[in-house]
Amino acid sequence: MRPMTNDVIANDHPLSSAQQQRLSALLDTVLPASEDGTMPSAGKLDFLAFALARSKDLLPALARTLDHFDDEFPDRPLSDRLARVQEYAGTNAKAFNDLLFHIYDCYYQDDRVRALIGAMPGAPFPRGNTVEPGDLSLLDAVVERSQGYRRPPR
Amino acid sequence: MDQASHNEPVDVLIIGAGASGAAVAWSLTETRMRILCLEQGDWTTSSNYPTNGKNWEAQQFGAYSIDPNVRGLETDYPINNDASPIDVVNFNGVGGSTILYAAHFPRLHPSDFKVKSHDGVADDWPVDYEQLEPYFAQNDRVMGVSGLAGDPMYPPKQPPLPPLPIGLVGETMAKGYDKLGWHWWPSDSAIISQPYEGRDKCLNLGPCTSGCAQGGKSSTDITYWPQAIRSGVELRTRCRVREITLNGHGMADGVIYYDKDGQECFQKAEVVIMACNGVGTPRILLNSKSAQFPDGLANNSGLVGKNLMFHPVSVVQGVFEERLDSHKGPQGCCILSKEFYESDEDRDFVRGYNMQIVRGAGPLTTAIHGHASGTIPWGPGHHEAFRKRFDHVASIVNVCEDLPEECNTVTLDPQLTDSDGIPAPKITYRVSENSRKMLAHSLARGKEVMQAAGASEIVSNELLRAAGWHLLGTARMGDDPASSVVNSWGRSHDVKNLFVVDGSIFVTSGGVNPTSTIQALALYIADVMKKNLANLFD
Repeated sequence: MRPMTNDVIANDHPLSSAQQQRLSALLDTVLPASEDGTMPSAGKLDFLAFALARSKDLLPALARTLDHFDDEFPDRPLSDRLARVQEYAGTNAKAFNDLLFHIYDCYYQDDRVRALIGAMPGAPFPRGNTVEPGDLSLLDAVVERSQGYRRPPR
Repeated sequence: MDQASHNEPVDVLIIGAGASGAAVAWSLTETRMRILCLEQGDWTTSSNYPTNGKNWEAQQFGAYSIDPNVRGLETDYPINNDASPIDVVNFNGVGGSTILYAAHFPRLHPSDFKVKSHDGVADDWPVDYEQLEPYFAQNDRVMGVSGLAGDPMYPPKQPPLPPLPIGLVGETMAKGYDKLGWHWWPSDSAIISQPYEGRDKCLNLGPCTSGCAQGGKSSTDITYWPQAIRSGVELRTRCRVREITLNGHGMADGVIYYDKDGQECFQKAEVVIMACNGVGTPRILLNSKSAQFPDGLANNSGLVGKNLMFHPVSVVQGVFEERLDSHKGPQGCCILSKEFYESDEDRDFVRGYNMQIVRGAGPLTTAIHGHASGTIPWGPGHHEAFRKRFDHVASIVNVCEDLPEECNTVTLDPQLTDSDGIPAPKITYRVSENSRKMLAHSLARGKEVMQAAGASEIVSNELLRAAGWHLLGTARMGDDPASSVVNSWGRSHDVKNLFVVDGSIFVTSGGVNPTSTIQALALYIADVMKKNLANLFD
């Protein structure tokens, strides 16, 4: 039996344990918790489950991105991780922007996150939203000052 | 029904089941003629629209994008926008672009039909507002339009339903306009504010431009088409027309189309009506070449595909300290301002623009657009920047009148084709000097009103790329066959049984969303046809 290393997938998890750690660190770098602690970091969400449900094409791209970062990446300070992600984003703009889209998509679909930003959880339909009618008495001034529409020349 | 009987000759063949095709089909049903509509797309299903799911926003960037090149559906056709700073956006299916439109539903103004007389530019239309007024009203009733009577910028009109709620976004912006003494009014919207004709009212879901799961938005698949079909019109989907054919007398005698299996079919017809709008209609006409029309059908004037008009659009977004609940409510329908709609000698451009106040986006779109514009970073600053903007923004979309220029064209791309091998359209377009000046003016005035409304931060976009909704002018109407493609009631000058009823017959563009006017024109043309049935081809 081969000895297990950090880069060998030894179970049915789609990412190696090293990739999982890098993913968690990457998520916490791209979308860390808010300074006041009210907003969770993206690493607190199950991004992998989201990615697997979203598209089978997403995982290989994610793995390729994670392989740009070394095993020490998760243990580096935030400023160091930020610099490395910025460097990656600069040289792999499309791959990074695609990943960022999915991270945001996962994050802002989450019911807890939506509650924290003041958005209703779940699908908009059939719940709908309530919108204030607004003060239409403000139109009195419009009618009063209007010179009317431009009439066609005769 | 076998294919042979399926393709029995019809009296009237309409190509395209969108805004104008639906209206003309509905109107012609009272003639009892055999009417067939061929539509290249499918019926859409409201339970499939994105707002049924949690991932509704992401779908707007993919399968429900407004851009056919992004959607990449087999039922769409690709469009080469490389030579244009504005991308064409549309939808192909029953309902056409009304499936994804914002449903902002202003009419053109009376002055829009007399541009030459008023301002000495472009041309007057061969019809005017007064002639179209009954058809505007009829269309409002069939579609289901909400709005408020009394707008001083129009002749009297009475929308059938009360206005949609303007919300905190509308009220905040209205106060800004009032402070400056500028015009504003609740938008006429093809969205029902109360239950109407068996449909339930708008639920304020937000993203109308990915389809309305509630059915509160008045797309023609749920307004005109059910009535037209009940009255006997046949609507055949997944049928993509390649070309219109001619008989020996120079009259259209039918079309060649591909069915959903890619099978080439022929449909014979006594009358052919084009309703594919400003890109689709010239595409088919230009692809219908013959010995009599080597440059495309009905093109003796050489103007088919020329004079393409969009509405160049600038955007001003204001960020407000107070929460505006911006992501709630019909995104494109709130209030508008016509303060700068008409020409003014003191400005350095002619004609004008409509300021359309739009509500904000959902959280994913806010974050993604914030990333693209550099206003919401990823990383440690994300939450603070996001919090400042999400539900705290209002935007002004300045819809600028575009004047016709022959250099702005729809042609057939020599390489690009759709899935049936039909040449795709190529757009060649430049923003004119007049439009540039108008865009600059609209940005400055937009910033002014945002400041008056109390915005703490203002960002702007001087020309929106994904804004080619309004596709106009490529088969213009007119009395002179040398300078127009169709006459004052949409009949081709060259082919007496060929009609065009969509946005391509616009002589000028006005400065408002055109669907209301497109449909009023289609109803008007149908009425003239009905009155002239005995001598339709004289």
